[in-house]
Amino acid sequence: MKHQQFENWILMDEELNKEQQRDLHGHLKECSQCQALFQANQQITHLFKTAPEPAPVAGFSTRWLGQIDRVEKRKNRIILFSSLGAISLATLILLSTVGLELRSVVGNFPQMLYELVTLIANWIVFLNQMSDIITPLFRVGAKLLSPIWLFIILFGLSGITAAWTVKFYRSRGMQKELN
Amino acid sequence: MCKTESQLIAEAKAGNKEAFSELVEKYQKPVFSVCYRMLGTPTAAEDAAQEAFIRAYQALDRYDPERSFATWILSIASNYSIDQLRKKKVTILSMDSDKHAWLAPPDPGPSPEKVALDKEKSALVQAILADLTETDRAAVILQYWHDYSYEEIAENLDLSSSAVKSRLFRARKLMAEKWQEMQLISAPNVNSAAKRIAHETSTI
Repeated sequence: MKHQQFENWILMDEELNKEQQRDLHGHLKECSQCQALFQANQQITHLFKTAPEPAPVAGFSTRWLGQIDRVEKRKNRIILFSSLGAISLATLILLSTVGLELRSVVGNFPQMLYELVTLIANWIVFLNQMSDIITPLFRVGAKLLSPIWLFIILFGLSGITAAWTVKFYRSRGMQKELN
Repeated sequence: MCKTESQLIAEAKAGNKEAFSELVEKYQKPVFSVCYRMLGTPTAAEDAAQEAFIRAYQALDRYDPERSFATWILSIASNYSIDQLRKKKVTILSMDSDKHAWLAPPDPGPSPEKVALDKEKSALVQAILADLTETDRAAVILQYWHDYSYEEIAENLDLSSSAVKSRLFRARKLMAEKWQEMQLISAPNVNSAAKRIAHETSTI
């Protein structure tokens, strides 16, 4: 049998059968190299088995509790700062966006103000004219008509106005779509 | 009342650190031992063992109760030690036995002779392991000191069983060569310990 096979038997961690054990012992008597390897292997195993098991100093678990507290505090701090960072970033983005919008609004501000004032003035004129028409009618109507008829007429007028307003907005919407 | 391991794990999962510290108390010795054998110094071993328990605590949600807790925690410790060795390339494993003094004495009140012999043996062990690669060293430690099977080592170190077999074969050869070499060198304390081991094995 080849020398390599015996070396494998010595170094492999497998049980040898009786025949293999006999062959190996026979070879060990003849081969000093394999004998040295066999002895070294045996001695190392013995050393490993008899070497004392290292142990930490007392209070290992107490020290661990201290460590885990520190680690968790650090983790919480990281989470806190990350959250604060994220909120700050979001606020910055929001402010930048709003700022840009405001800038465009501020740029057209005089024109917008003019349009708003014109709109309010038009509405005031319109309401004044309406009150000039409606007030005498109400006065006469109140004398000529009973309260029930007055209510019916007012209700009818409101309905017509509402229908006209809806129709007006719908036609305006359709016109916009067509454009 | 003494709680079972699964009760302690369940409580720790719910955020009870005290419950986990009981598991730390129970497994501190094997975890420290793996880290010490891997890294070679008590200080590095203490740091690595503490970190292994912290990682285990933080990964408790991923712990499979079907698996032994001891196997799981040792795999965390050995993998963390391998990473540390790769990062820092810890090569402080000298033949000077004084550097391998225990953080805690293994036996309360041992005789000075026993202490000296233990130190010598420890130095020898670390010197023999020093030349192995990180993964080979972890495989040797798990097999010799924790009686892991090839399959368990393979699972822990993310290797195949055949890879573990060949790694252990190669490691044994390297260790035997180192041992023979050490018996020839002149470090007096190591030489005496080696001679003593040789004598002890010849009388078995």
